[in-house]
Amino acid sequence: MKKELGCFVVGDSTKCTGCKACELACFTVHNRESNHVGKTVGTVTVPVVPRLFLTKFEDGCMPIQCKHCEDAPCLNACTKGAISRVDHQVIVDAEKCIGCKDCMQACPFGAIALLPYAKNGKLVAQPMAEEPKVFASKCDLCAGIEGGPACVRVCPHQALRLVDPEAEREEKNIKAAEALLLTKNWR
Amino acid sequence: MIVEIDKNLCTGCRECAEVCPAYAIVGEQGEPQTIDESRCVRCGQCVQKCKSYVSVLTHGKDAYERVKKERHIPDCVQEPLFAAHAVCNVDKVKAALADKKKFTIVQCAPAVRVAIAEEFGADLGSLTPGRLSAALHALGFDRVYDTNFPADVTIMEEGTELVKRITEGGVLPMFTSCCPAWVKFLENNYPELKDHLSTAKSPQQIGGAIFKTYGAQLEGKSGSDIYSVSVMPCTCKEFECGRPEMKDSGYQDVDVAITTRDLAWLIRDMGINWDSLDEMDFDQPLGLYTGAGTIFGVTGGVMEAAIRTGYELMTGKPIPNVEVTAVRGTEGFRTSTLKVGDMNLKVGVVTGLKNVIPVLEAVKNGTLDLHFIEVMTCPEGCVSGGGQPKMLMDTDQADAYAARRAALFAHDRELPYRKSHENPAVKKIYDEFLEEPNSHIAHHLLHTTYCMK
Amino acid sequence: MNYFVKGNPDLCIGCRTCMIGCVVAHEGKRIFEVDPDSYDFNPRLHVVRTVRLSVPVQCKHCENPACMAVCPVGAISQKDHCVVIDENKCMGCKSCMDACPFGAINMTEKKGYVQADGTLKKTANKCDLCYGLPGGPACVRVCPTEALTLITEEDLETAMERKRAEAARNTYRETHPQE
Repeated sequence: MKKELGCFVVGDSTKCTGCKACELACFTVHNRESNHVGKTVGTVTVPVVPRLFLTKFEDGCMPIQCKHCEDAPCLNACTKGAISRVDHQVIVDAEKCIGCKDCMQACPFGAIALLPYAKNGKLVAQPMAEEPKVFASKCDLCAGIEGGPACVRVCPHQALRLVDPEAEREEKNIKAAEALLLTKNWR
Repeated sequence: MIVEIDKNLCTGCRECAEVCPAYAIVGEQGEPQTIDESRCVRCGQCVQKCKSYVSVLTHGKDAYERVKKERHIPDCVQEPLFAAHAVCNVDKVKAALADKKKFTIVQCAPAVRVAIAEEFGADLGSLTPGRLSAALHALGFDRVYDTNFPADVTIMEEGTELVKRITEGGVLPMFTSCCPAWVKFLENNYPELKDHLSTAKSPQQIGGAIFKTYGAQLEGKSGSDIYSVSVMPCTCKEFECGRPEMKDSGYQDVDVAITTRDLAWLIRDMGINWDSLDEMDFDQPLGLYTGAGTIFGVTGGVMEAAIRTGYELMTGKPIPNVEVTAVRGTEGFRTSTLKVGDMNLKVGVVTGLKNVIPVLEAVKNGTLDLHFIEVMTCPEGCVSGGGQPKMLMDTDQADAYAARRAALFAHDRELPYRKSHENPAVKKIYDEFLEEPNSHIAHHLLHTTYCMK
Repeated sequence: MNYFVKGNPDLCIGCRTCMIGCVVAHEGKRIFEVDPDSYDFNPRLHVVRTVRLSVPVQCKHCENPACMAVCPVGAISQKDHCVVIDENKCMGCKSCMDACPFGAINMTEKKGYVQADGTLKKTANKCDLCYGLPGGPACVRVCPTEALTLITEEDLETAMERKRAEAARNTYRETHPQE
């Protein structure tokens, strides 16, 4: 069957210890080319900007990240057309982003943060302001990055999982069908 | 404190507590952690593990610069700073380099030359002794010596000591004493076994004592003119050089120890471009080293270096195969029996401090039948030390350690001298100054005692 | 208690008439007589065919719906013995689809409902017991082998009472065998 839906990564607060290895890995793989980040901490010359955000709540903690909604409020809210669907995933074009904050207000999950934008190992300045440019930072499912979602790979407790909603739905349907064999004699 | 956890940054994940070999990190899950100084061995594995960085999102825009200042980190540094961190002594080194009255001598550990380049974007485990020496010269050190030379001297002292203990019925098994975190662990937890430690100091400290005596003489200076710096893969070396008994030269033998990461910061701070450095040698005579000295940086390396020399000391004949692969590897505790003349030399190698506990218990019970045991705190020896370049992703750690180990073994293979006793500079210092291993002067300068209060 | 429709794998022949009936009922069109591009084919139940069985699977209208619990915009609610999704509130985040253990929810397009970039919205779609449609669940009506049944609260309670009474009788007979 043709793939229609965007995949997404989701955390498990029963396994997450709140270490932030995911945030650091996310930043690392997204900045290897654009900001010359190598394998060691010493090669980093720009602020660490993650695209998923460790969140603490009463019963634990887990990272929060974009669900690549099929009727994405952020995409609909962006008047600059900086957010679009690419290969079923919702992607922000940082170059086009003017930091208007509509997307982060529209997102019901808080999966977007406005964070400093860096290129070539330096923060990008803007004329007439001391603050560097910012951009809407959100999970892009590691589109174009070898190895797929880095957060899933580095989590020391496997607290993050990549969800393919269509494949999972089909598997669940089959299990539910087989379970119906057991409840045939419900009368 | 040498190793510390910043309460304002700590998320309470306790990933550090899982790697701490001394069970020194305390706190509730989800709350900021503290290091129990009485248990901490300063190995810095927590520093290597911690991922909780100063975040613009969590801690605000001004937090980064504030934390940088608090930690006396050079202004040019822009890399992420973490909750668990080690003290930064770059300022002290800069001040010494600027002080015309001080004659600065620097030594660097074997593991530094296979990792420093990683901080400048090179592949993991890149072997760059030439650039390392060039960088240290460019920084303005008056003498650029090398810890691998005192490592060779350590082998002479410790090898002789081992032969003595074996032939004269001394305390066995004998443990290596070059890893200061391991020494502190034993002093904290098994002080009754202190006589099992070799009395030889670590290469860093042997280097320090030599530089301020024999080294000063070579320059026509007094020990009081010398400011002695070491560059180490280890956060505990700063603790070791500050131990009150480490003053046998008449002055603090090593004035300050900085880490591999600190050195990268210092190089950047002084405006030196790593990529454009031309290779240089280490200065002579106290920077001349053998392959045996260089493999100190890997687990099993001290043991292998000791055997290369000990074999000849005990049999009068050179060892048939200079590569003692039986003691190589990364398993937590491995043993081996080696034929040395008529004798079966039984040796053990421990790597990863948690693995030493069953060994010590067996020594206490008298059930451990070994002559000589090497103990390293860090997972694969000094190449994986608390002061080494830190991985952004732990999935790269295994590759980094393996590449650094392989690079040290490759360096050993390409060097003209591979056995400590064949080092011409070693022969020279014994001829001119130390007389012979374990001599009176060697004992005074190069040996130590433990469990000082 | 919520009502639900249930398939019987012993009777189901895998013909998928139920899926077509569902679409016809919700589109309100005689789909075989119109241009195929003029309607959406979004069945709210799915026939599963494996080597061992065939049977349709659909929403069980749970009493503590996992889907309702995770919806960030409150688009899922319970009314009149039914769990329903308000597709006008839905923004297609797939939380409900991920939460449902039975895979009863799918994301589907509706013609004319577009996002800002011109592509069609997809929103959550699941069995709604033909809520508000005349005749009740269409799939039950059209199944040629009567493999689908609407089970009401009364049906379930009657079944539970019968089973309990039979269990009590059998326990009694352990110590009082019939002559």
